[in-house]
Amino acid sequence: MRVSDQQLYGSTIGNLQRTKERMVTAQEQIASQQRIAKPSDDPSIFGQVILDKSALADNDQWMRNIQFGTARVAVADQTLGETQNLIGRVRELAVQAGSDTTSAQGRVTIAQEVRQLHRQLIQLANTEVAGQPVFAGTKTNAPPFVLGTGDTVSYQGNSESQSIAVGPNQTTQIVLPGDQVFTGGTTNIFDDLSNLLTALEGNNKAGIEVGIGSLDQATAQISLAQGQIGAIANRLDTAQGTSQVVSEALQHVLSDQTSTDLATALTELQLQETAYQATSQTFTRLFDSSLLKFLR
Amino acid sequence: MGITRLLDIGKSALFTTQQAISVTGHNIANVDTPGYSRQQITLSENVPQDGSPGQIGTGVQAESIRRSLDSFVEDQLLSSREQLGQFNASGSAMARLEPLFGDANNQGIGAGLNDFFGALQDVATNPSDLSARTVFLSKATALAGQFNQSAQALTAAQQSIDHQVGQTITDVNRLTSQISGLNTKIAAAESSGQQANDLRDERGVALADLGERIEISSIEDATGQLTVFAGRGHALVDKERTYQLVGVPDLSNNGLLDVRYDAGAGSPTSIAPVIQSGRLKGLLDVRDQTIPSLQSSLDTLASELVTQVNQQHRLGFGLDGSTNQNFFAPAGTTAGTIAVSLSNVRQIAASSTVGGVPGNNANALVLAGLRTTDFASFGDVTFQEYYSTIAGNFGSATQGIQSNLQAQQVLHDQLTSQRSSVSGVSMDEELANLLQYQRSFEAASRMIVVADELFQSILSMKR
Repeated sequence: MRVSDQQLYGSTIGNLQRTKERMVTAQEQIASQQRIAKPSDDPSIFGQVILDKSALADNDQWMRNIQFGTARVAVADQTLGETQNLIGRVRELAVQAGSDTTSAQGRVTIAQEVRQLHRQLIQLANTEVAGQPVFAGTKTNAPPFVLGTGDTVSYQGNSESQSIAVGPNQTTQIVLPGDQVFTGGTTNIFDDLSNLLTALEGNNKAGIEVGIGSLDQATAQISLAQGQIGAIANRLDTAQGTSQVVSEALQHVLSDQTSTDLATALTELQLQETAYQATSQTFTRLFDSSLLKFLR
Repeated sequence: MGITRLLDIGKSALFTTQQAISVTGHNIANVDTPGYSRQQITLSENVPQDGSPGQIGTGVQAESIRRSLDSFVEDQLLSSREQLGQFNASGSAMARLEPLFGDANNQGIGAGLNDFFGALQDVATNPSDLSARTVFLSKATALAGQFNQSAQALTAAQQSIDHQVGQTITDVNRLTSQISGLNTKIAAAESSGQQANDLRDERGVALADLGERIEISSIEDATGQLTVFAGRGHALVDKERTYQLVGVPDLSNNGLLDVRYDAGAGSPTSIAPVIQSGRLKGLLDVRDQTIPSLQSSLDTLASELVTQVNQQHRLGFGLDGSTNQNFFAPAGTTAGTIAVSLSNVRQIAASSTVGGVPGNNANALVLAGLRTTDFASFGDVTFQEYYSTIAGNFGSATQGIQSNLQAQQVLHDQLTSQRSSVSGVSMDEELANLLQYQRSFEAASRMIVVADELFQSILSMKR
């Protein structure tokens, strides 16, 4: 083949440019640690990356939701535990007051302690997390249990409950409305205490015994609520575990899809560097061998 | 007559070698000239004279000076220029659109949708928390902003490509008038039997430049004049005459330029649909197909988002008891016009009942559930899936053009190399020729000296 000067220059420059372009690409991938930055870098993977990032955001959000729910549920659980203790203490006092050896004066004294516990129960039932009462249903802008005249307590929350998203198309209830836990269900615990107070102060032994019976019902009602809260906590825990696993898997996948494999990129860079040097050196050699050099 | 003949032969050799040296010098001088074709001098013997015992030679003559050219390679190179022009134009236009999809770096509409629905979940989780509502509103505004920005970027890209279309039309007209001018000069030069090598090279360069801009075909007539066609037999150059392309704002296409052909009589007709390759084709493809298709996809996405979110939002109740409120401005159903219309965070309708406020989140949960809902207008996929398809399709198109461009560049380099092999100047060859002609010149000079000496000898006989 006849070789012209332009041909030598042209093909050498073309080769050098292509090699340099590949060097820059490899260098960019190493510097940014990103194999895929633009849709055209790998169109099918890029579409997948968008979906994986979306799924990752979902999982992270569910974990956030669960964290919030878990805080509420833990406080509710603790409050119910304390309520159970409080009812137990009232029952002890009621049993003591119901004894034949306790005088009318003794029953009045016991009534004073029971009244303290009654007020303490109002406080427990009004427990808040971050300024929001736990047992108000969805009416979270005011304390749900309000002391009226005498020992009467009225429920001013509602019967609605709140659910949060914890997984793909999964929601979990995180609120037990107060009218279900304290003033509704089997018995109204505040009324039970109030009736007991009346019996104690009225030295009504039969009334006290009725009161003890209703306290047993109250204990059962709180136990039921504790069971429900425990089940919710379990569900949240499981959902958290699932999201955690999925989230880690997605992060792994995303990193595989988009991150630079350093070994590959460095090898490629080295390869192109060598090619570039070789081309440059042979280029000067070619132009050294010209007839012009020998014509003097 | 013997001695005079020798003198004449020496003279013919002297002149011819001088011409050959000039051609060699011209080749060396043009070693770097783009489009230059190496010229070769063809030598032949002069017409012999009859004599005894036979014909006797009368020296040498330069028969012709011709370009070294392979017209098959030239044709291939021209069509390669056309392809290269097309892929270059569309490739760089699309590369400039790619930053719209910054999703690998958590930017772009996909990331905006994630943030929007994430913040909505926070509202659902804690519906009475004003800060969660404020964050949600600002994420929604940011998402609308991302849509608006993308729409603006697409319009701006379209305008800039349109400008390039106008520029290319101007270039085409300039090149066609250059070619017709050269046609006239070549015909004039060659009518007297000359070979207009350098003018033909110049016309070849103009033709290649024209081909890079618009696909052409050409035929040469007996006088050496070219007729150049574009589109479907639309003559751009007819010997010494040119027909102009004009860019006319097309009101049915947002006032973007339509490429029309002015046949000289009647109003110019559109040839945009019949342009097959070249830069104009590449520009028109991106301007009239890629960008509008992206725009319409993003509009569909924005429209569905506005409709669905508003529809569900109107059913709920805000912290202040407000209901039947739109979240997005209902009129803004394109990517360019989508905007959040709700300004009071208390009016975000998280609750499904008026009595359920502030803690009821049922409506917010349904709103957040839109994220995983399949919509018929997207072909039964979710917002994110639809968006990822848009990005994926755009990426495939861009990648396709880029790999076409790379392949075409390699092919073009090969063809250029083939052309250089035939038509390029080799310095070694020219230097060797130079030496050869120099020696011939010296020998011819010597011949004249000898002839002179012979004359001297004869003249000296008289004494």
